[in-house]
Amino acid sequence: MKRLLGVALGILTAIGGFVDIGDLVTNAVVGSRFGLSLVWVVVVGVVGICLFASMSGRVAAVSGRATFEIIRERLGPRAAGANLAASFAINLLTLTAEVGGIALALHLASSVEPRLWIPVAAFAVWLVLWRVKFQVMENVAGLLGLLLVGFGVALFLLGPDWGELLRQAVPPSPPATEHVATYWYYAVALFGAAMTPYEVFFFSSGAVEEGWTAKDLAQNRVNVLVGFPLGGLLSVAIAACAAVVLLPAGIEVSSLSQIVLPVAEAGGTLLLALVIVGIVAATFGAALETALSSGYTLAQYLGWSWGKFRRPARAARFHVTMVVALLLAVAILMTSVDPVAVTEMSVVFSAVALPLTYVPILLVANDPEYMGEHVNGRATNALGMVYLVIVVAAAVAAIPLMIATGAGS
Amino acid sequence: MRTPARSGTIADVGRRARITRSGAVLGHVLVLAVALATTAGCTVSRQEPGQATAAVADALAQAGSAVETTRLTVRLLDADRVTTPVADAAVLDQVRVLEESTSALTTLVPPDDVSSAQRDAGLVAVADATREVVAARAWVAREAGGDLSEAGAVPLTASELQADLARAADDLDTALALAGGA
Repeated sequence: MKRLLGVALGILTAIGGFVDIGDLVTNAVVGSRFGLSLVWVVVVGVVGICLFASMSGRVAAVSGRATFEIIRERLGPRAAGANLAASFAINLLTLTAEVGGIALALHLASSVEPRLWIPVAAFAVWLVLWRVKFQVMENVAGLLGLLLVGFGVALFLLGPDWGELLRQAVPPSPPATEHVATYWYYAVALFGAAMTPYEVFFFSSGAVEEGWTAKDLAQNRVNVLVGFPLGGLLSVAIAACAAVVLLPAGIEVSSLSQIVLPVAEAGGTLLLALVIVGIVAATFGAALETALSSGYTLAQYLGWSWGKFRRPARAARFHVTMVVALLLAVAILMTSVDPVAVTEMSVVFSAVALPLTYVPILLVANDPEYMGEHVNGRATNALGMVYLVIVVAAAVAAIPLMIATGAGS
Repeated sequence: MRTPARSGTIADVGRRARITRSGAVLGHVLVLAVALATTAGCTVSRQEPGQATAAVADALAQAGSAVETTRLTVRLLDADRVTTPVADAAVLDQVRVLEESTSALTTLVPPDDVSSAQRDAGLVAVADATREVVAARAWVAREAGGDLSEAGAVPLTASELQADLARAADDLDTALALAGGA
């Protein structure tokens, strides 16, 4: 019974923790401009994140070591250093977007300027990282993030023409009003949002934090294979709400306040309040994960003592790295940069950095020295190779598409 | 065993070093010159007529989205389906979108009479839309309990405000049609 509860909790937190500010903004923007014609990208992204998250979890559980420790050992300090520099920069951009997302969500709840919320949000993130245990932190943020199910409820309450939604989704093609290059730019952005690199660093390091062993592999697989697809459905619900309410009115999403209007239309103030709490929890949870990922990657590369399972005094440089990353995020946001614009940039640059994260994991998961009998099977490798091609294609296309489309404008 | 020097005298080495340094300096000067020439071409904004028309249409579409968002927000607040902080944030965000639209139009240098007329019509429509959205924000503030009852510019009812916003949206559509938009 206890084990069953553990599995259920793992699935629920995987669902609630799936959506972050990148998913929220990108899905709503895409829904308001392209309807559900890009829903196939969410499917591709969810399958990809399931594949690589379960692979990195397996590597951590079997080897007892986190991703960056092995990347440095396997690729050497120079290649791993280049990987670290790119991953750390993308992670910092994502952390900035998440802290900005918390501030925007609190602005919706209070009318107080987001710039006043930014330091408060960053301080709260630091306080939780400093004081709260890893499992408590992960479970509370994940469970509160489940309130984003409100988008799914809203979609049903709106009573859309399901046939019309299906026609938008299948066969996938850009609407007549949008340029093909813009369609592909948002496809890459959506893919980057679903497969954000920090998720893998956090997942593998979290496995070490929680002391996973080879015995936990089955539970890991269930959490990922059930939780992430259900989390992906939340992404689709966000896009569908925008497609049903905002697209017909000619509204293009450019702010968080527009994303919640379909929820208000469908469920009134109660559902709206629940969804805003869900957004705060989802962005807060993702800010915790990205801040931790900053500490994880640097500490694992440099061989510092790391982990929430150690007291802060015993992993001082790990904690200092997180504090510095948070301060940098606050400094960037206090320049008055638009957090939504930062989010859009972060998902596109995530797509650029995807091969740096996923290629080493694929290599390590096939190395019998680390994995023993738990190396990838043929089917996993075949799918892994397909995703390698997709990930490289997305990374190569991201910047040219961004320039050609004026960042999707 | 000493490795034989690759060059003759110390003076030769110094001369070669100076030549290499001056070559590097010349290279830097060339790169700087090319960069300056390239960026100098950007200092005068010059667009083809089609590009200018597309820029006007983009700005008007953005403004249209802002007005429609405001109409939706006002309708939801009037029906008590949205909280006043969310409504205020939504309308404030649209004021900023309209600022961007205005900026896009005012900084445009139309290359011919046709795009100049499109830009002028767009500026008038966006200015009108901005006025109505600003009035909507005042209305939201009054709904939130702000002491604005005597303020003459604030529409008294939601339906009055909706009518003003609908007219602004129509004007934007007309300007957009002039710029070849939908």
